Amino acid sequence: MTRRSLSWAALALVLAGALVVGSRGDGSPPSDAERAHRIAQTMRCPTCRSQSMADSDAPAARQGREEILRRVGDGQTTEEIQDYFVSRFDDSILLDPRKEGVSGLVWALPVLAVTAAVAGLAVAFRRWRPRRRQATETDRALVEEALHQP
Amino acid sequence: MSAVAGAAAVALGLASALLGVATLAIGLRRRDPRLLRGGQRYVWLVLAGALLATAAMQYALLTHDFSLRFVAANGSRSTPTLYTITGMWSALEGSILLWGLVLAGYLAVMARRFRDRAADPMVAWATIVGLAVAAFFFLLMAGPANPFRVVDGPVPLDGPGPNPLLQNHPLVAFHPPMLYLGYVGFTIPFAFALAALVTGRLGEGWLVETRRWALFAWGFLTAGIVLGAWWSYEVLGWGGYWAWDPVENASLLPWLTATAYLHSVMVQERRGMLRVWNLSLLVATFSLTILGTFLTRSGVLESVHAFSESAVGPMILGFFALVVAVSIALIGWRGDRLRSPGAIDSAVSREGAFLANNLGFAAFTFVVLLGTVFPLIAEALNGEQLSVGAPYFNRMTAPVGLTLLFLMAVAPVLPWRKASGDVLHRRLAIPAWTAVAVVVACVAVGVRGLGPIAAFGLGTFAAAAAIRHLVVSVRAARRAGSPVLRAFTGRTNGGMVVHIGVVVLAIGFAGSSSFAESRQFRLAPGQSASLSGHTVTYLGTRTVEEPHKTVSQARVRIDGGKVYAPGLNQFPFATQAIGSPSVKTGFREDVYLTLVAAPEPDSPDGTAVIGVRIQPLVVWLWTGGGIMAFGTLLAAWPGGRRRRPQETDGGPAAVMPAEPVKVAT
Repeated sequence: MTRRSLSWAALALVLAGALVVGSRGDGSPPSDAERAHRIAQTMRCPTCRSQSMADSDAPAARQGREEILRRVGDGQTTEEIQDYFVSRFDDSILLDPRKEGVSGLVWALPVLAVTAAVAGLAVAFRRWRPRRRQATETDRALVEEALHQP
Repeated sequence: MSAVAGAAAVALGLASALLGVATLAIGLRRRDPRLLRGGQRYVWLVLAGALLATAAMQYALLTHDFSLRFVAANGSRSTPTLYTITGMWSALEGSILLWGLVLAGYLAVMARRFRDRAADPMVAWATIVGLAVAAFFFLLMAGPANPFRVVDGPVPLDGPGPNPLLQNHPLVAFHPPMLYLGYVGFTIPFAFALAALVTGRLGEGWLVETRRWALFAWGFLTAGIVLGAWWSYEVLGWGGYWAWDPVENASLLPWLTATAYLHSVMVQERRGMLRVWNLSLLVATFSLTILGTFLTRSGVLESVHAFSESAVGPMILGFFALVVAVSIALIGWRGDRLRSPGAIDSAVSREGAFLANNLGFAAFTFVVLLGTVFPLIAEALNGEQLSVGAPYFNRMTAPVGLTLLFLMAVAPVLPWRKASGDVLHRRLAIPAWTAVAVVVACVAVGVRGLGPIAAFGLGTFAAAAAIRHLVVSVRAARRAGSPVLRAFTGRTNGGMVVHIGVVVLAIGFAGSSSFAESRQFRLAPGQSASLSGHTVTYLGTRTVEEPHKTVSQARVRIDGGKVYAPGLNQFPFATQAIGSPSVKTGFREDVYLTLVAAPEPDSPDGTAVIGVRIQPLVVWLWTGGGIMAFGTLLAAWPGGRRRRPQETDGGPAAVMPAEPVKVAT
């Protein structure tokens, strides 16, 4: 018994250690190009529907990427760059909807729904707790019959 | 001539479907087996109508009969024969025709399979539902989506051909039909579900009848989705394979609910529970295929795929609403008979894990559905324009996906009813240590990032659990002296092979989406550039004239080895050139080349812009998809698909008759 718990504790320890090392980045801060690429992924190519500025080869996307890179070079934050694009186009440029206002719903609703579902299941489990039921005569007869079948 | 023949065929299909429904309804009312048998035969006339209409359309396409509006809009004399044939499903009207054909085919197989039981009210009701769905699609073809409408005014001499994206790769011949075989296949289980509700025979009989239908439809849908991703990767040239585009989401939604159904159905078969839930999942799956058709065919959401806009939208939306309303009403009406006799004893049990699995899939479905339609909702609410794209879907679905991977590892080893700590330890120790070893190895070779490491670890855990199951089953087969193949066939064993496919795919997804590198280089002939340890050398560009397009092909040498040729295709009627990427595929990573800009004709140095993308583990995606399809076949393998009660793993004997009960009327 203790040996078994020990083995699982050892497993958890090794796993935690590996995850701590693995979740740390490689130390160096991201380069401008990497940051710009990441920001471009959060915005739609202005002339496409669902492709991001990072993925599209449309001229408008290329211009957008250059603009992002320039602004990253100027030291602007991600929010500042996104705000600039929103002011130039509109909110629909953001593939990552904002977390406030109406668009906040798209983030909140799934979380609420899952929470409600988990809570509902927990209640259901409580209700499902086996209740002792008396076997009726019919039940006994059925069992009898089943047992004596060839 | 095709127009007349086609219209007549559509009329035949529509009339037969309606007559079939009427005959069966009267037969059920009068309890007349002769009428019921006769009514079932109308299915064959519906099939004849669909086949004739398809033949008329193909004849018109192949003979370039531009008097048909559809051919004038989607055909051209210079299009190669393959793409002329596939032109049928390159636009709305022909796609509806393909849907009708596939549906008629399924109904015919169903009629043949149940021909001895035509007088059974359950079969009669299922046929009524199937024929009613067919009538709807023929109605679309007779009305707003008529593929055989003739052109107004003079007949054009030539047409533009299909959408350039749909005539650039032979996969167009496989991906849409495969997807349709999946979508439409769920009509049959749905029809039986409604029939069970109407007849009140809500036991497990109808589930057993339609289990394989659901499994096959699921397999086709899986293959269709993976082929679509492959197509996107090989043809569209943006380097990715999944964009969370509404059209892709529309195919994923029914897949998610169907996957949930295939799992939770086992709880009902085994324990008689979750009846309402299973019915709801089937109804959801079927109505999501209809909703997907609405979203993608009505032009309500524009996307790279939505090449159609028409008045069909309101009709499909109305049909969707009807399906949902009728189903909910029926489930409500039969509510008292659906109350389950069983109860779940412990959350740590097979049925508890299936419940968690269903919760996960429901959450996944909810996120994808909400994200897909949210722009519409927001616009309707306050006129706000917004987009919901890949970053949202990735962030919201990743935790769900990881949870599902974890459940995939744990659920198959859990016994029914209740698990003891001892059983868990014995069955999970090796898979868990294998997973930890892989995590440590990943970290040791320098993989960084919690998301991908978690995916690799949990994936290994799940794969190890599946392999453990198969090993146990091979041993059992050896002991029992049965052929080893039997250790891999049947729902549980085949399901484990599917699980391994899912893991391979998930690892490919995690790796390729987390560690891709891409850059564009402007290169003169002879110049080289390098990215993540790969060197590409641009050799020059040549122009190839083909009958239906002009191709600029760059020649690029990768790592001093083979020469690859990414190209740009200019189609005569398209403004934008379509890229065709060239990919060096590898077990570890792909080198993905695109020609972003061909050299200008008057440029002195002949420089071209080459896009290079290094993406790891992409080939795992396709491999995983293949394993999933193969596993589905194994799961549906005849014989040994139902385990005899004495072979069960400790739970109570199945409360299921060995043969579906036939009820005479």
